[in-house]
Parts: sequence; structure tokens; C-alpha cells
Amino acid sequence: MAIQTVSKAKIQTAGRTHFRLVRRMSTALVVTFMAGVILFTLFPFYWMLKSSFQTSADITSLPPIWFPTHATIDGYYRAVTLYPVPRYLLNSLFVSSATAALATFLASSAAYVLARHRFPGAVFIMGIVIFTQLIPGITRVFPIYFLIKDLGLINTYAGLILAYLGFSVPYATLLLTGYFTASSPPELEEAALIDGCGHFGAYARVVLPISLPGIVAVGIFTFLGSWNDFLWSSLLLSQGQMKTIQVGLRDFFSEAGNLQRMNSFMAACVIATIPAILLYRFLQRGMVSGLSAGSIKG
Amino acid sequence: MTRQRYLFCYLMVAPALVLVVALGLYPMLASIRMSFLQYDLMLIPTQGTPFVGLRNYQTLLANPNFVQALVNTLAFVLVAVGGVVTLGLLVAQILSREFRGRGTIRTLVLISWFIPPVVAAGIWIWMFQPERSPINEILRGLGLMHSDIRFLTNSDWTLGPLSIPFFAISVVRIWSGLPFVITFSMAGLQSIPGEVYEAAEMDGAGSVQRFFYVTLPMLRPVLTVLITLLAIGGIGHFELNYIMTGGGPKGLTNILAVMAYQFAYSQYRFDLAAATSNIILVLTGIIGFLYVRQQIRER
Repeated sequence: MAIQTVSKAKIQTAGRTHFRLVRRMSTALVVTFMAGVILFTLFPFYWMLKSSFQTSADITSLPPIWFPTHATIDGYYRAVTLYPVPRYLLNSLFVSSATAALATFLASSAAYVLARHRFPGAVFIMGIVIFTQLIPGITRVFPIYFLIKDLGLINTYAGLILAYLGFSVPYATLLLTGYFTASSPPELEEAALIDGCGHFGAYARVVLPISLPGIVAVGIFTFLGSWNDFLWSSLLLSQGQMKTIQVGLRDFFSEAGNLQRMNSFMAACVIATIPAILLYRFLQRGMVSGLSAGSIKG
Repeated sequence: MTRQRYLFCYLMVAPALVLVVALGLYPMLASIRMSFLQYDLMLIPTQGTPFVGLRNYQTLLANPNFVQALVNTLAFVLVAVGGVVTLGLLVAQILSREFRGRGTIRTLVLISWFIPPVVAAGIWIWMFQPERSPINEILRGLGLMHSDIRFLTNSDWTLGPLSIPFFAISVVRIWSGLPFVITFSMAGLQSIPGEVYEAAEMDGAGSVQRFFYVTLPMLRPVLTVLITLLAIGGIGHFELNYIMTGGGPKGLTNILAVMAYQFAYSQYRFDLAAATSNIILVLTGIIGFLYVRQQIRER
């Protein structure tokens, strides 16, 4: 508002027509630029949806057909019948939920003391957490492969969950430390301590309950981190019925690389995207502004 | 009392810390160790894993494919990070103004955030299929092209690490990174107080000048963090390159992470894989260490 008032004052002093022309040109430029950006971000999404509803004949036609003129759910039907997409979804759902639950459980207690208490080594521990969270997974994937193998957990859900905890726990700890620092007033715990709760009592009975929205949100972020993973699951759980959806999609694509199946592959892609969209919507609705700032910092 | 409180703190931190060390720090060290051994799965039954010093690194440096992958990795970081930061900053700048439909546009621009990397790779492979590519169709329609661009397979034209597949994958990496950059930059822009702009405007600064003399300097701390995070992620990037081209054609899109993965799981050479991934560890570790030190000082 204030800026606009100033610029109005400026219009009166400066040459009016010249200023308007520049302004109109720059508006046109901005609008064109934004239209281009939206086209760039949105078009692949449209192309996926469109392809998923096309018939095999339409999808292979030359030149490409831009709209699903013979819209059909054939692709979806084949994605879930010819290929075990539902099973892969369930696998991913299970592994990611278990990871999210365990990671947030372990991370919340650590994050709480890191955010609220000063103790020797706290800064060092925080450094380790940030560092581990920062460094790409490929730098530790090989020894972990052998570790999981030695434990006899290759091609088991437990093995993959364990590996996922390796990157989910530092991630969740970082997000939750930010959340605990920013929100949940310390006065409440002090009151609880005075009322005779121990430190743990204050945490478990006072802090945890009021922090639940933030913890759930972090759980969702952690869930999505595992849900989107391809690297680890392609190494640790790549065989048979237990594959995750991302690995399943990749194999689907390389097996069904022929073009007639592209509609069912795109349908499978849509299906794999839906849970992520639902969760993001849920996050957006819910909340927790302090957390979204923290999550970005991660 | 204090001792009791410390005990409480350590007990609370311990489970998470044990996991972070066991599955985060320790494997990084184990990977470094592995790179100094002969760790060839085919030879382990007969020869075990003898110490070979720097031999794996020497093997890598003598391998032109490795040098190519190293150069590509850095070139991808420059092009993709440079591209996504420039584009994201411009969009964030526009979206921080008040105008009708801002919320809707923001949602539309952030949509690629929802899409898992494997799905993103799948969509773009399909959009890059030469004969059926909507991009080629448009270029043909405009009369700009007569033959189809083979986005992911054309190895005819190269300029150093630059090639058509290189740019094709860079576009996808920019596309998938854009929402993060926009959100991050918008949060940074919000932290600049409006009075600063008013003062600049009073002094007669135009919008371009305001951007270069007010926005950019004020945004520098945020941009530094953003570029650090993107550079680290970019150096260790794996999925899009691996799924879209597997590093091809002729290694034009090959990067360190993809190469490490292939050493391990196509050639069973975990020693070379570990050595390759250690290059990533060194590059990202240095940046990461400086970043962590900075972050902790601010706390």
C-alpha cells in the first residue's frame, strides 16, 4: 500500500505518459513471463493426466493428440490389473508410515531437549544431525547395503525401514528442533515442573500433547521423504511383490517400454502421485506456519 | 539437580543420536575405508578384501569416463542450480506483490513439488519421446524445426560437457527444483521490511535498481543458504539422471552418483563405487562443514 502511495506521488511529478508506458510494458512483460512459467510447471502435469486417459490407439498416433478425445479409464484398469500397482502402493504406504512413526517418535524427544535445554555436547550433537541430513545418501549407501545384508534383512520391509530411519531421523530432528524452538511456550513446562512433574513428565504430559500438530506435520514430511525414495528401495527391496511403488514404476516403465502401454504407465504415475498431493493439501490446510519456515531451512 | 537434568537430556537424545551415528556417520567412514580396499564381489571368495592404498582412486583418475562424469556433475550443478535460482527468484519477486489470483498462481507454480522423482522422470521421458513430443510438435508448427529433436539420445552436438541430453535433463532438474526455490525465496523476501523499499523509492530508485541494490543484498544470507543446499543436493544428485538416461548417450549425462551406483550393481566393484561416492563426500563434506559451522554460530 505504502509503496503505491509513493509511486502515485511520483507519477504526478515525473512525466506522466512516459511513466505509464514503461509501466504498461513492464506489466506486459511480467504477465508474459509468468504465463511462460506456469506453462512450464503445469504442462507436464497435464500431459501425464491426458496420456493416462487416452486409448492405446490414441497414445501412439502421429502426430500426438493433445486432448483425450476418446477418454477412457482403460489405462487405469490395466495399471491395477496387469501390473501389481495396488500391491506396490500398499508396500510403500506401510514402509513410509512405519518410518514416519518411528522417526518422529525418536526425533521428538531428541529435538525437545536440543531446543529447550542447554547441556554439554548439545551443539556438537546438533552439528552431527545437520551434517548427516545434508550429505547426499549415495555417500553411505554401499556400507549400509552390506550392513542390511549382514543382518539378513535384504528384501524385507524391516531392512528398508531401518535404512530409511538413517535419513528420516536427522531430518525429523532438525524440523522438530525448529518447531520446538519457535512454538510451545516454555512457561507451560515451568508451571508443570513447579507442580511436581519431573522433566520427563513435563515433556510427556505437557509438551507432547500441545505439540501434536507440529509432530504430525513433521511426520508427513518424513513420510513423503520415504515415499519418494528410489535409491534405497531399488537396492534393498527390489524383488518380487514387496517392491515399493517407485521401484515398481521404474520396472513397469522398462518392461512396458513399448508405446502402447504408455497410457497405463501414465495412469500408474497418477496413482503414485495422489497420496503426495493429498498429504500436501492436508499440510496446507492445517497449519503450523512456524514449521513450514523450519521445514524449508532443512 | 543439574546432574539429573543432564542425565535426562542425554537419555532423551540417545536413541536418535545412536541411529544418526550408526546409519549416518559410521557408513560414511566405512565407505572411506572401503575405497582403500580391493572390494570386488567377484574376487572376494578367493582373495578377500586386501588393502590397496590409493589404487582405486588411481584407477578412477585414469578412466576418461570418470573424468567426464566429474565434469558433468559440476556442470549440472552450475547450469541447474544457476537456472533454478534465477528463475525461482524472479517468480518469487513477482509473487510477493499483491495482485488478484496470487494464491491460485502460487499453487499452480508449486505443483511439481507434489510429484515423486520417478514419476517426474517418467513424464519427461514421455514428453521427450522424439516423434510424439509436444515440444517438437510446437517447434514444427512454428516452422522452427524440420526434424525432431532427439532430446535424450542426440550425441551429435557437444560443447565441453554441454549437449542436448545435458540440457534436457537440466530442464527437468530445474522443473523439479523450482517450487523449493520459490518457497524459500518468498520466505526470504517477506523478511525484508517494506520501509527499505520506500526509502529506496524516495531516493529515486527504479524497480530494476531496487532489485539489484536492495533486494539482492538484503537477500544475501538467505541466498547463500539456498545455494549451499542446492549445490550439495546437486553434487549428490542421482534419480533423474539415472532413470532418464542411465548416464548416456556416450556418457553425456553421466554423473558421479550414477557412476558409483553402476560400479556397484552392474560391475560388482564396490571399491570403485565407494571411491566415486567419496569424491561426492569430499565435495559436499567441505561445503557442508562450513555450512554447519555457520548455522551453529547463529544459534
